[in-house]
Amino acid sequence: MGFDIRKLKVRGRVWKFGDSIETDAINPYYRYPTMEELKQHTMEVYRPEFPKEVKPGDIMVTGRNFGCGSSRPGLVLREVGIAAIVAESVSRLFLRNSISRAIPIFVAPGVTGIVEDGGALEVDYPKGVVVNAASGASVTIRKYPPAIEQIFECGGLPEFAYERYQREAALAARPK
Amino acid sequence: MAQTMAEKLLSRNNLAGRPVSAGDFLEARIDGAMCHYHAADSMVEAARQAGFKDGLPRVWDKDRIYVLLDHHQPTLTQKLADENAAVRREVERLGIRCFHDSEPGIAHQMMLDYGLVRPGELVVGNDSHTLGYGCLNAGATGITRADMFYVLLYGELWFQVPESIKVVLDGRQPNYPIAKDIILYIAGQYGEDIAQSMSIEYSGSLVPQLSIDSRMCLSTHGVELGAKFAMFEADPATSQFVKARTDKPYETLVPDANAQYAKEVRINVDEMPFMVSKPHQFGNIAPLDEVKGTRIHQAQIGSCANGRFEDIEIAARMLKKHKVAKGVRFIISPASQQVYLQCLKAGLVETLIGAGAQFITPGCGVCQPRVGFLSDGEVCITATTRNTRGRKGSTQAEVYLGGPLSVTAAAVAGEIANPEEVFGGL
Repeated sequence: MGFDIRKLKVRGRVWKFGDSIETDAINPYYRYPTMEELKQHTMEVYRPEFPKEVKPGDIMVTGRNFGCGSSRPGLVLREVGIAAIVAESVSRLFLRNSISRAIPIFVAPGVTGIVEDGGALEVDYPKGVVVNAASGASVTIRKYPPAIEQIFECGGLPEFAYERYQREAALAARPK
Repeated sequence: MAQTMAEKLLSRNNLAGRPVSAGDFLEARIDGAMCHYHAADSMVEAARQAGFKDGLPRVWDKDRIYVLLDHHQPTLTQKLADENAAVRREVERLGIRCFHDSEPGIAHQMMLDYGLVRPGELVVGNDSHTLGYGCLNAGATGITRADMFYVLLYGELWFQVPESIKVVLDGRQPNYPIAKDIILYIAGQYGEDIAQSMSIEYSGSLVPQLSIDSRMCLSTHGVELGAKFAMFEADPATSQFVKARTDKPYETLVPDANAQYAKEVRINVDEMPFMVSKPHQFGNIAPLDEVKGTRIHQAQIGSCANGRFEDIEIAARMLKKHKVAKGVRFIISPASQQVYLQCLKAGLVETLIGAGAQFITPGCGVCQPRVGFLSDGEVCITATTRNTRGRKGSTQAEVYLGGPLSVTAAAVAGEIANPEEVFGGL
């Protein structure tokens, strides 16, 4: 599911979490191996009501080191409808996972200071800011280099690989 | 310009052929790729989703991809058996030559046991603890399944050159392993994201005294500090270890004298107490004495962090004169068959079983809710990698992390206890 991050603007209700939320909480696949089960249990060790009450279009705001621990993608968060994750900082593997599966994730130092749980937040990637829709308070988003923006647009790294493979195959097939 | 080890490595492997420094993005040439149980279903599915109808059309280099079936061996369910069978079919279809199949053990340990990692290489693996190979001066890091898909096809991957953090370890190595305590101590002093996305370079007067086993614990746990790489310089111990296992040539990485470091931390291990991580977060650190007297039901030694000879040897040494407390399940899982054999030959297995410990098959199970589940309200102290809620089954169980000596002391006392008090003069 590719999207043009260069034009991405979303607004949604905030679910706020603390520091060092680990992938065992986001994606406890050892205990819940199917996506249907995961959707009913994601993040429950921090907020038991989350899987029941999260709505499509909601935004997650988290503290530092989001997604630390084992290397596991946060696809379940997209499945339950999370439109964007905005974090003080993101564990490198979770960031890589999100980029390579085209899940909208943003590093915005200071974000936990401008919005409360349940508030409304607007992510405006073109302007490079996240804004509290009620108070107008904002912080800056860290922009991705063009090559990474392209991975989001392709829909992830395997999709990016497929495009490259097709392009190279077409070139190789051209008469010399 | 003066370069850190990470800058040297990524400059050397930069496909664009020019030097890079911290912060730069690049496409890098990969020297080796460790791929475990994701090699089949998830890769085939990723391929189909991306547009390759028949799965991956090829692999970039049949000799540089190492497939090891580690997480599920022997399989505990029908589903896992079927997944392993799918991996075997993929390996055969793609012609991958290095395949460790009918052998239980942790992939990271086997990568070292079989000489598949050389100093100075850029090695990736689709597992967070791939950093462990940094103990041999390799730039090794975990990547995601989708990243691995790209690597399998092209042998290339994007990176951002990390900033580097110098971790200087000084002091004297006691006659028991302390690598786990060191990493817990660093996380406690500086926070569990002290090295977020950075390259750790370990140095200091303690390093020459550290065994390769201890170095691997420190490098493996680099990821628990957030790191991308966690490297030691190569020394005589490194070359002895590597040359006993492979005759392939290699070029070591040495940082330049004036290289730029984003941070530097210094630890004197002589002043360091025994440390634990309390439930339910790695960064929830305390000196062991603070939780002394906590009743335990299970004790464990194993994983890519602490499943090596020295971790098991210290347990056996202490259990020569002590028994495991009644009602405590003391589970030991060597990291690989090679380590297991080493323990057997040294007589450790006999001592440990005689004292009431139990051995389980080498592999990742001891560190997951796969083997040795905990029930509600139970407490476990473990020399493994992680203690998140539910990591060992029940979300109402509590998991403490500690070094192998602290785990053994708790197994004997039936409660978390200071090893010096349990065993007397160490």
